[in-house]
Amino acid sequence: MADALIIQAHGLRKEYGSTVALQGLDLEIEAGGVVGILGPNGAGKTTLVEILEGLRKPTSGSVSVLGMDPTTEGRSLRERLGVQLQKTALPPELTVREMLRLFASFYSSALPIDSVLDKVDLNSQADQNATTLSGGQQQRLVVGIALIHDPQLVILDEPTTGLDPKARRDLHEVIRELRAQGRTTLLTTHYIEEAEHLCDRVVMIRDGRIVADGTPFELVGQSRDSSTIWLHVDGTMDIAPLLAAGAEPLGWEGTHYKFSTTDPTATVLALGDVLRSQGLQLIDLRLRRPTLEDVYLELMGDVPEDDVEVSP
Amino acid sequence: MRHALRGLGPLSRAYLLQAFRSRSAIIWNLVFPMVWLFLFGFVFYRGNPSLMMPGLFTITLISGAFFGVSYLMVSEREAGILRRYRVTPVSATTIVLANAIRAMVTLSISVGAQAAVGWLVFRYEVTGSLLLTFVIMLLGGAAFVPLGMFVGSVARDMRTAPAISNLLFFPLVFASGAAYPASQLPGWMQSATRLIPSAYLVEALQGVMLRGHGLAQLSGPIAVLLLTLVVGAWVNGRLFRWETSEPLNKQAMLTAIVVLTLLYAAAALLAPAFEMIQPLGTQ
Repeated sequence: MADALIIQAHGLRKEYGSTVALQGLDLEIEAGGVVGILGPNGAGKTTLVEILEGLRKPTSGSVSVLGMDPTTEGRSLRERLGVQLQKTALPPELTVREMLRLFASFYSSALPIDSVLDKVDLNSQADQNATTLSGGQQQRLVVGIALIHDPQLVILDEPTTGLDPKARRDLHEVIRELRAQGRTTLLTTHYIEEAEHLCDRVVMIRDGRIVADGTPFELVGQSRDSSTIWLHVDGTMDIAPLLAAGAEPLGWEGTHYKFSTTDPTATVLALGDVLRSQGLQLIDLRLRRPTLEDVYLELMGDVPEDDVEVSP
Repeated sequence: MRHALRGLGPLSRAYLLQAFRSRSAIIWNLVFPMVWLFLFGFVFYRGNPSLMMPGLFTITLISGAFFGVSYLMVSEREAGILRRYRVTPVSATTIVLANAIRAMVTLSISVGAQAAVGWLVFRYEVTGSLLLTFVIMLLGGAAFVPLGMFVGSVARDMRTAPAISNLLFFPLVFASGAAYPASQLPGWMQSATRLIPSAYLVEALQGVMLRGHGLAQLSGPIAVLLLTLVVGAWVNGRLFRWETSEPLNKQAMLTAIVVLTLLYAAAALLAPAFEMIQPLGTQ
């Protein structure tokens, strides 16, 4: 269904002088849910969302957002698109309520101010000068402004960067509520756990290209990474049977001995035999499956963050 | 049309709230006009308060139209506030007009305060029509707002904006006859005065306030001010920039400068016999 696609970008390329920020990127996003764009600084996240918002023109390629071209149909698009820019900049000397009222006046229809205050939990700060808000409150206000016209699509550029854990959780709640209302949220982040817990779909980009795309669950499943096992027993253990079962010894980590294995079931079964036959007591056993972070590091970790151009 | 100007009222109101709540804006809009008033009244024009008022009003109108407008534009662009407005459906026209409305209101307050305190302290007299004086003041303010916006568009950031504003402000005030009678300037500068737009505001205000001239006799300077307003509005539609990184439309900038220079040169040739009134105290 073509009309279920809320964002369509094909062959998107963006050059700034000799720097290539996007190298022919293709992206299709369906209506509904939370999509996270994950990548290191300089990967092209902001360039991508700014092209979708119509703030930048792609060097080549085609874009359609809510069925409109952001560069030529910007004003109609912005009636239905809510945006939070990476750098917060709000007019000075206005209270929270005045600020929301001002932005509401730019749209053909807007939500009641009080319902937006409720949504972002700024009721008790409504008559406070917006510049005196805390970082987390200010960020909630910025998101409130993005939601004031009840947009179908919300694009948030690093909404939680620099926020403390509580403020970040509050903002996650706002985003989950948007999902519950059937709205589509596209957010960029460099917090992996945020992408893992909040997003229905994660798109990892590096050097202006998509390197992974799927649900967090799918991405972890695709990982070539192995599980890690930590073992603490009350004596000296002969580990040969474990190695025979495919485990690789990684050495001591404090009181624990660390293995890596691509077949954790075989390793744990072998461990049972070893404990029984060697008469050892298990003090601690920990098993960790690969996480989204492992997938991320597998895809991004071998290149320094500021290395934009890849050698031949 | 309604769609194009949506948000104009609330944005103008927000700009005005900002102006009323900001200490520096109060200093610019109320303290400075009083400083000029008392400096003129007690030092430069002692014993002749009526003569100083046209020039004084011109200075207040120009500084009100000039500095506030250009600083607001540059600071909002530099801080990324315009960028934030850009991702809403609000139009550039709305933003520019709201800035102009804010300037006209604050400028009216400045001139009004100056007129009231000036009258209470110095008891100046207005020979001609008060209504015409008022209309010329509004037109003068409106004509210089686009000039402030021109600076706001041309200046790159808040470091260059004051430099450009002052560079233009001083000749507008000191070589136009507003602060200093043109007849006391050197001969070559007296002819150059004709090339300075504020000279026409001084001429019109002196005409109505001191000589009692009516609309017909002042049609020349009023036409020049109107044309300044039209050219200024035209060029601002082409120079507006949402972001510092956007290139400046140099062609529109140069066109406006050439058109305005030709306008003032033509006005100088058509009406050379204008005598500025000299303050008696300085003779």
